[in-house]
Amino acid sequence: MNQFPHGWGRPRDDVYGAYDSSYLNSTEPVSHTQRPIVTGTSVLGVKFNGGVIIAADNIASYGSLARYDNVERLLQVGTHTVVGAGGDISDMQYLHLLLDNLLIKEQYPADDHALLAPQVHTYISRVLYQRRNKFDPLWNSILTAGADPKTSEPFLSYVDLRGTTYTAPALATGYGAHLAVPILRRHVPDEEACASLSQEDAEKLVEECMKVLWYRDARSGVKYSWAVVTKDGVTTGNNKIENQSWKFAEMIKGYGAQNV
Amino acid sequence: MTSIGTGYDLSNSVFSPDGRNFQVEYAQKAVENGPTTIGLRCKDGVILACEKLITSKLLVPGSNKRISTVDRHIGIATSGLIPDGKHFINRARDEAISWRRNFKDSVPIASLADRMGSYAQAYTLYSSVRPFGVTAIVAGADNDGPGLYMIEPSGLYWGYFGAATGKGRQAAKSEIEKLNLSELTLLQGIKEAARIIYVAHDDNKDKEFEIEMTWVTKDAKTANAAVTGSRGMIWNGWVHEEVPKELLEEAAREAKKAVEEEDEEDDDAKGEEKMDEDL
Amino acid sequence: MFRNNYDNDSVTFSPQGRIFQVEYALEAIKQGSAAVGLRSKTHVALVALKRNAEELGSYQKKIIPIDKHLGVALAGLSPDARVLSNFMRQQSMASRLLYKRPVPVSRVVNSIADKAQVNTQHYGKRPYGVGLLIAGVDETGPHLWEFQPSGQILEYFGAAIGARSQSARTYLERHFESFPDVSRDELVLHGLKALRDTLQQDKELTTDNTSIAIVGIGEDLKQYDGPRVKRFLDLLGEDGTKSQRAARLDTAMDAGGADDDNDDELAGLLGESGPSGSAMDTTE
Repeated sequence: MNQFPHGWGRPRDDVYGAYDSSYLNSTEPVSHTQRPIVTGTSVLGVKFNGGVIIAADNIASYGSLARYDNVERLLQVGTHTVVGAGGDISDMQYLHLLLDNLLIKEQYPADDHALLAPQVHTYISRVLYQRRNKFDPLWNSILTAGADPKTSEPFLSYVDLRGTTYTAPALATGYGAHLAVPILRRHVPDEEACASLSQEDAEKLVEECMKVLWYRDARSGVKYSWAVVTKDGVTTGNNKIENQSWKFAEMIKGYGAQNV
Repeated sequence: MTSIGTGYDLSNSVFSPDGRNFQVEYAQKAVENGPTTIGLRCKDGVILACEKLITSKLLVPGSNKRISTVDRHIGIATSGLIPDGKHFINRARDEAISWRRNFKDSVPIASLADRMGSYAQAYTLYSSVRPFGVTAIVAGADNDGPGLYMIEPSGLYWGYFGAATGKGRQAAKSEIEKLNLSELTLLQGIKEAARIIYVAHDDNKDKEFEIEMTWVTKDAKTANAAVTGSRGMIWNGWVHEEVPKELLEEAAREAKKAVEEEDEEDDDAKGEEKMDEDL
Repeated sequence: MFRNNYDNDSVTFSPQGRIFQVEYALEAIKQGSAAVGLRSKTHVALVALKRNAEELGSYQKKIIPIDKHLGVALAGLSPDARVLSNFMRQQSMASRLLYKRPVPVSRVVNSIADKAQVNTQHYGKRPYGVGLLIAGVDETGPHLWEFQPSGQILEYFGAAIGARSQSARTYLERHFESFPDVSRDELVLHGLKALRDTLQQDKELTTDNTSIAIVGIGEDLKQYDGPRVKRFLDLLGEDGTKSQRAARLDTAMDAGGADDDNDDELAGLLGESGPSGSAMDTTE
């Protein structure tokens, strides 16, 4: 009998040749996720007077391939919170599972305590930070939007795969952080500006930004979901970017099959 | 009881020579003194109700709940040792969460009842633990519609149209048997449930009590916003929640009146009998 | 001699379905000095009677702060109370870390109840030998809970545990309907009056033996011991031992000048003889 446990359950050396165990002695460090696989792009959020609006398109890309075109990236968590995620879609789905379980556990006591946006945001940021400390991050950047049911104070906060958190009157993840934020900031440079922004104007502003992203971000889609949170709760909807104008594209040379 | 002093009743997991497990029977005794608790499986949902005695006026009314939510679509009421009931319910919650993680689906009621039956049974197997001093009534709904199960300290469980346990179970059972549960709706059911709790209540021994009542419903209008708000999450559309306050109060009022009228009729009948005798 | 075979451990039911070890643990609470808790619409107060083992020794700890919004008073084995309050502190910190939310009172109480229940179902463990009054404030207002070694927890408007606590309960039952609207000081005074009723004939409340804690909406838990208790005892006025107060009461009644307040005092004295409530009936 072979006295060495590592040999047990392996093909016999005398029949199949010596077992090549070199891969077991790798000197490489242990590695986890190095990059996202199926991804969602920007999430936008803007605070307005009495609430907050958040939006994300429905595309999930596999590299540069628009692999899925009906993915919901906004998740309602309880009565007054919506969480939008960019980055890896499967990690987002795992986060949804965590938030779902969190909500169920929150319901057990049947008391008058409810998780509101600040608590949900803190929870997500702790999860993400803990995972980054394991060097096994959840590859997402996330916006949490909500409103306080009593004071109607809007809440909007960002957290990413490193556990970094940040808050501002208007936020965007991914490409939106480059393309949409400058536009948003023109309208809401500070909290005071939010207080004088109506819901209607905020909706138009988001629509405008989604359009810019659709033109300029090659991972974006034409259909997007939006959600508005006020003290009365969450309203959601879907939108499609209309009145597109691609005239400018005629001027662009150098790509694809063109007869100069 | 002949068993006492024979020594076969001193340890869990021990059979007596005639094949009984006394510690399990004693655990059932703990339930027999517990508050009356019932479950009704109606056409469009399930109702759980229990009699909550007010042992001190210093207690905060409406606090100290006896019926618990296990998952969005399941509730459990226990009768017997309250802390044991809490432990049992915590386990049921863990089972429900585990089912979601494994199958991305809400746990079917029959499966949860089965798992919890096994859990209770495991506590009859070892001398290092004692059985649960509770009977649990599991109410919920899934793809097969409404489901109602009752789990005993032995681990034994059955599915029911109507279940009753605790002090007033005999009276409650005979009332439940009069109902046509396969045709009864939830709105009719809560009135019957309130009436049954009143009928089973022992006026002589205990005075004041509250009724605690929950249901499992698919009616989104009454459903608790925290649950229906969870679009995109694992949920089969049924909600376990407290019966709306106005409905419960109305049902309790009617039940009280009905029981009082019945008592008066009884008294009248007795009075007549007495007169007959006198004649 | 009668020997009870069913009381050796907490994994044996008696033929009536009782668990004697758990019931005996409930008795351990009565070995400890009394603690009283009560709540108004805005505050919860805990008051407790401290004992000292000997003249030169220090007084025991009866109130343990858990968090800014939460504290407990204990009666029974204080080492057990320390284990439970450490656990509550952990829960409290976890809530603040994970959700940036002070832990809701009912939930932290439920967590120790679940912990205590396990000790009543497994061989080799013993039930905790301590009763707790948990006072705290959260989003839903002020709350007062009682914890028992059986794992039973109940929410109260006013509660008392420990030696001769029935007298305090009698006081609370007589007055609790006025508690919601009383001021912070008045709430403490009601607590002290209830606590005073648990004293033995020759004892009185002093700055040495009285412990007070108060927490309110928008007001952190504050504990008063030693000299800082004096203000409340002064407000209480009417000091002296129980027998001294009774003597004064007699004089006042002879003079026909007994007012409402003295009535209460009399009730307190009479309440002394009441039966000690059976706290062991976990089946309700």
